[in-house]
Amino acid sequence: MRNLYKTYISILTLFLLFAASSVYAQQSDYQIQQDFRAELTELLSRVELAVTAEELDAINSEIDALQQQYSEHSGIIDAALYPETFESTITNIREIRLSAFNNLAVIEQLNEQIEGLSAEMDLFRNRLAQMTQETTSLQQQIERAEANERRQASLIRQYRQNIEQRDNFVSEFLQELLSKYQRMDSATQQEIAEGIDRLDQNPLDMIRTIITEYIQIADQSTGLQTPDYVAMRAQHGYFESVWSQIGERLTTTFAPDSPVQVRQEISDMLAAWLASVDNKLWGSLTTAFNQNGINLQPFATPDDFNTALNTFVDRAYEISLESNNEADYEVFRNFRDFWNNTVKASWGEALITGNILSPAQIATIDIKLNDWGEAAQPTSNLMFILFLISMAVIVLLVVLLIVRK
Amino acid sequence: MKRTTFLHSIMILVLVAGTLACGTSLVIEDVDYSQPLESVLVPDANNQVHDQRYAIKLSITPVLQEEGISGVDEIRLIRNRAGFYFITASRFSHVYVFEPDDGELKLKRKIEITGDGLGQPAFNQRNTHIELVDMASGRTYNIDQNGIR
Repeated sequence: MRNLYKTYISILTLFLLFAASSVYAQQSDYQIQQDFRAELTELLSRVELAVTAEELDAINSEIDALQQQYSEHSGIIDAALYPETFESTITNIREIRLSAFNNLAVIEQLNEQIEGLSAEMDLFRNRLAQMTQETTSLQQQIERAEANERRQASLIRQYRQNIEQRDNFVSEFLQELLSKYQRMDSATQQEIAEGIDRLDQNPLDMIRTIITEYIQIADQSTGLQTPDYVAMRAQHGYFESVWSQIGERLTTTFAPDSPVQVRQEISDMLAAWLASVDNKLWGSLTTAFNQNGINLQPFATPDDFNTALNTFVDRAYEISLESNNEADYEVFRNFRDFWNNTVKASWGEALITGNILSPAQIATIDIKLNDWGEAAQPTSNLMFILFLISMAVIVLLVVLLIVRK
Repeated sequence: MKRTTFLHSIMILVLVAGTLACGTSLVIEDVDYSQPLESVLVPDANNQVHDQRYAIKLSITPVLQEEGISGVDEIRLIRNRAGFYFITASRFSHVYVFEPDDGELKLKRKIEITGDGLGQPAFNQRNTHIELVDMASGRTYNIDQNGIR
């Protein structure tokens, strides 16, 4: 029985071999190379259209299979493809696939970058919106609490803190933009520029939103004082400095179609923001100096302010030189204390960052203040009286000596 | 004296004949004319086919007339090792074997394959012969310039 089974298997195997050889015999060489070309073309097309690394991995396996399937017909294919060969076409498609794979890796990295950027923008936008809501609510509460001074003061404190938080948050955002885009190479810029369509909001949109809200805060500010406006100008100064460093890269990357126009638009917005801050700042500074008994000549620009300070100190110095009485010295002490304890100690950094006064200008006032202090020091008559007494004693002694003789 | 002159003449004749014979007997042997793959050619409106790769241009009108067919979509052409051209097409009953000559192909043999006409014929170049495969019927014929082997 077992022998019969073996015989049956052998006959079946022989039949299958014969059938297989018959099938092979019925193949057309022309058709084989046509099929090879068709499969190769299809694979090439799929390589071009592949959008994931997985697809390209699968195609790699199919290239292996294609090579294996047609290697026995390489002679026919060589003849058909002359001067190319079966091997050269397989090598070629492998190289194309590898190149596509590498390109895809770059694209996938870019996708991740865009997604990360998008998530970052969402986070930032939400936080900023929340802060704006808080600011608006505090403004309304301050207006409603006019009757209650203590409550209003407390709300203004909160309002001020809210603005500080926003400044810190925006500064962090700008710092991140700086670190990301300041040294970004043009190739990466180009890659991101190609993917910006997928971003709901790009950093340029965020910058527009931030500036618009800053303008609103400056225009609608309630209960704020000089340090707040000085801080606003400082924030503007920092913003402008960051923009001058990365504005060009940002506009080239995120507004590739019209970088110059967008750069101009944001520069105009920055100018409007500064005008809004200045509109409040100079009045507030004048009031602050006046409240401390210092009447400066009118000013409406940083240069004017510097001139007003210098003019005040120069005139006071001249007056002190002419009549250094106690009243002049009081004027000096008053200015010195306000200058040192408030202007320099509390506002100094912000004045510099906000381009209101430069360190050199502050140093000049310090030197002049020193001279003024010396000139304003009231001179004592005690020494003169002692001198007169001494002279009188000497004269008396001389007279006594002459009389005794 | 006459005999010597005669011998001299014979020798001169032999030398001349030998020289002439050497001049015409330069032969390159074992030339392989075989096309590794058949050419599948589409006739134009005038039944002209042009094989750019193997540089041959011909009219298939005489073959079509011989087969009694007005036209075909494509013809299949292959040249064997010996340099004979084999031509056939779908619906042809024969394979035509042509021998190239000055500006012409002379029919060497008309090999009858099937009275029903070939379905999907294809030529394969093999070492000693041309393999004709009818993909439609699955039948294979080994042929050369002398007919079916």
